[in-house]
Amino acid sequence: MEMIHIIFLVFLGGAVLTYFAGKISKVLQDILFLLSVLVPASLFFTYVKIADSVTLPLGGIKLSWGLNHFSWLFSLIVLGLGSMAAIYAVGYMKGRERKGYFYFNFILSIMAMMGILLSLDLISFFIFWEIMTWSSYLMTVYSGNDIQRIGIKYFVFSAIGAYAMLMAIVMVHHMTGSFMIGSMINFYPNMSLSMQIWIPVLFLMALGVKAAMMPLHVWAPDAYSNAPMAYTAVFSGALSKMGVYGMVIVLVTMINQIPQGVWFREVIAWLGGITAVLGTLWAIKQDDAKKLLAYSSVAQLGYIITGIAIGTELGMLAGLFLAVMHALFKGTLFMVTGAVEKQTGTTNFTEVTGLIRKMPWTFFAALFAIIALAGIPPLGGFVGKWMLYEALITSNHYLLVIVIFFSSTAAFLYCYKFLFGFFLGQEEKEWAHVKEAPATMVVPMVLMAVMMFVLGTFPGIILKPINSGLVDLGYIDTFKHLWNSSVILNVWGDNVILQPILYYIIAIFVFFVVFLT
Amino acid sequence: MEVVLMDILGAVVTFLVAFVVGMTYGGLSRKITARVQNRKGPPFYQNFIDAFKLGSKKSAIHHGVMHHFGPAFLMVSSVMTLMIVPVLTHNQWFPNLNFQGDLIFLLYVMTFGPLGMALGAGQTGNPNSAIGVTRGLSQMVGFEIPWVLALVALMIQYHTTSITGLMAAQAHSGTWLMFSSPFAFVAAVMAMFGMFRYSPFDIVGAPTELASGPISENGGKYLFVMMSSGSVFTFAKLTLYVDLFMGGADNLLILLIKTFALYLIPVLYGVTTPRYRTEQAVRWFWGWPSFFGLLAILQAVFF
Repeated sequence: MEMIHIIFLVFLGGAVLTYFAGKISKVLQDILFLLSVLVPASLFFTYVKIADSVTLPLGGIKLSWGLNHFSWLFSLIVLGLGSMAAIYAVGYMKGRERKGYFYFNFILSIMAMMGILLSLDLISFFIFWEIMTWSSYLMTVYSGNDIQRIGIKYFVFSAIGAYAMLMAIVMVHHMTGSFMIGSMINFYPNMSLSMQIWIPVLFLMALGVKAAMMPLHVWAPDAYSNAPMAYTAVFSGALSKMGVYGMVIVLVTMINQIPQGVWFREVIAWLGGITAVLGTLWAIKQDDAKKLLAYSSVAQLGYIITGIAIGTELGMLAGLFLAVMHALFKGTLFMVTGAVEKQTGTTNFTEVTGLIRKMPWTFFAALFAIIALAGIPPLGGFVGKWMLYEALITSNHYLLVIVIFFSSTAAFLYCYKFLFGFFLGQEEKEWAHVKEAPATMVVPMVLMAVMMFVLGTFPGIILKPINSGLVDLGYIDTFKHLWNSSVILNVWGDNVILQPILYYIIAIFVFFVVFLT
Repeated sequence: MEVVLMDILGAVVTFLVAFVVGMTYGGLSRKITARVQNRKGPPFYQNFIDAFKLGSKKSAIHHGVMHHFGPAFLMVSSVMTLMIVPVLTHNQWFPNLNFQGDLIFLLYVMTFGPLGMALGAGQTGNPNSAIGVTRGLSQMVGFEIPWVLALVALMIQYHTTSITGLMAAQAHSGTWLMFSSPFAFVAAVMAMFGMFRYSPFDIVGAPTELASGPISENGGKYLFVMMSSGSVFTFAKLTLYVDLFMGGADNLLILLIKTFALYLIPVLYGVTTPRYRTEQAVRWFWGWPSFFGLLAILQAVFF
């Protein structure tokens, strides 16, 4: 038995065991839950090597799973954020009902995402895609007032996407006689023109639903805000990235191969831009933190989609770096919202104010995440934004760069609203009793905030696996040409050296803080 | 080591020059406004007196950590902007600390201050601050559009995203960018009105109705740091415009002449125009300034 098999077995067995352990003891359940997320994660990073592959015969079809650099990058997002969210979830779910249900679906989601990333054939890709949809659907309807409407909306959109994908899979099998993704890609240049257009369109429909691309985003704000926050961190941070993962593969291996692909990419890039603007404008209007972050997720995914749709090396780097950053900061922000919800019972800005003194660590994490979201140096968000702008400008997308810039400037309004609404403003007696969230919730948030800080100065840590992933997909090696451990460059040779910037900012800041004191 | 020390010394000198020049310009603008309104007005060095009075005071109350950090954030933004912008061409005393002066980095550093300041103002819990901040951020969304349009036009026309690259392009061709890219210059200058927040775009501070908006609840050293930051920022912004559109300056005198000429535009426009409401201001920025910005992009693409 290979390590990849063991990992999936641990996930699956862990999910079932965790569910039933609740009947015996709550503590045992928590421990089992943590083990069944953290053990496979550590097994994956220690024992599974790039280019490992395994097969599993299943009813006459051979399912094959394997790992390349590109899927390793997304595994990092899924398992990294998943582990953090799992630790957080133990604190968040304390005292809540139906913990077994929550834990079961949480573990299944992580497993399904890993399955999607490791799938080498379309059948297992589709199976895991459906497990992911089901488990996230069950999470969406975990609690809340309007779960029927929200659940149906999410499910209908997911079903449309899934059927589109199934249709594409059947068509591919009809043409190639094989379910392997590799043979589909190899056969693609020999397809007729209409097939060359239909296959990617059908796939993009399924992927666009998960990535919340306009006009398939309708389900996202409700589903994100209704799922328990510990899960939404993964839902928005990692699960939506599965759409991005598939999109990159479809764009690079199919659409780039045909001459009409330019228009395709242009349309998707603009859809991303429009998603970003409208998502931001909706986010500004919200009075509820969950809704605000949900719309903001839609907007941020717009940037990512734009980046990967441009398709230049810098655009790809930007999109994927933003994907990692988005997992970090949006994961943190949903966790912050969850912490505030747990400690105060509401997430409405008009009700909660002035928590900064009561929840300083949560505020610290929120501040870092917001600075990263706004793209302000010296945090990691800036690196992604810089690369995205430079990619747009150097690839002649002049109007798109204005659209993206408008959206990211307007984003300051909701960024400020989030921090001001919860943490600043008049302190009221009503919230005088509020305490800092428990350590299991605070530690993951703060760890992720520190990670954002580190990535702001040394983006090379993440750009290295991104680069390897892109090389796997057939891009040229961009090390030292577009990025270095702490330098980012564009194709015209302009660069930003990040390390001195950090030192100067810290020096000036400390000097004036001391001066003021 | 010596190089580093010289760099730091140069940075301090740059800061002091920026502080003095910015303060003087602030004083002169008060004088000019007064003369236009047929008053005598304070002496031009009044801002120095105000600043040193504020700097020597102690604050008795404390609003919290974020409030304490607010002015420091503002200062980080102004000083970083100053450090990126090359002050003089061919002069070792004003090094730009060699960040290559990347324009996109600059755009974000410039927004760092207002956001940090807004957080500081937020913690005071003063409703006037919150209103002022919201107005300020909305107005920023307004003027950033023509400003970015102008910058993007320059970047695509000269294939560089750095200030030094644009200065080199001007030195190479011998013409100032304000003549070779006139639409970008017009759009950028109109966006500058918003950046300086003089009338008609002074609703953010609005001394009479909002008690100066974000800076209410600040006094003593806090106000002193904010004032100095404002002065440094004024100088940095004007120098940036001179670098981008007027070919930079070889010595301090030329720099002063060019920057003051530029500075007069928002000041004089301000004293003759009544205040806009926020939505009017945003509409204004998305009108003619953005139109000129788009023309600039068209010019950059097709000519």
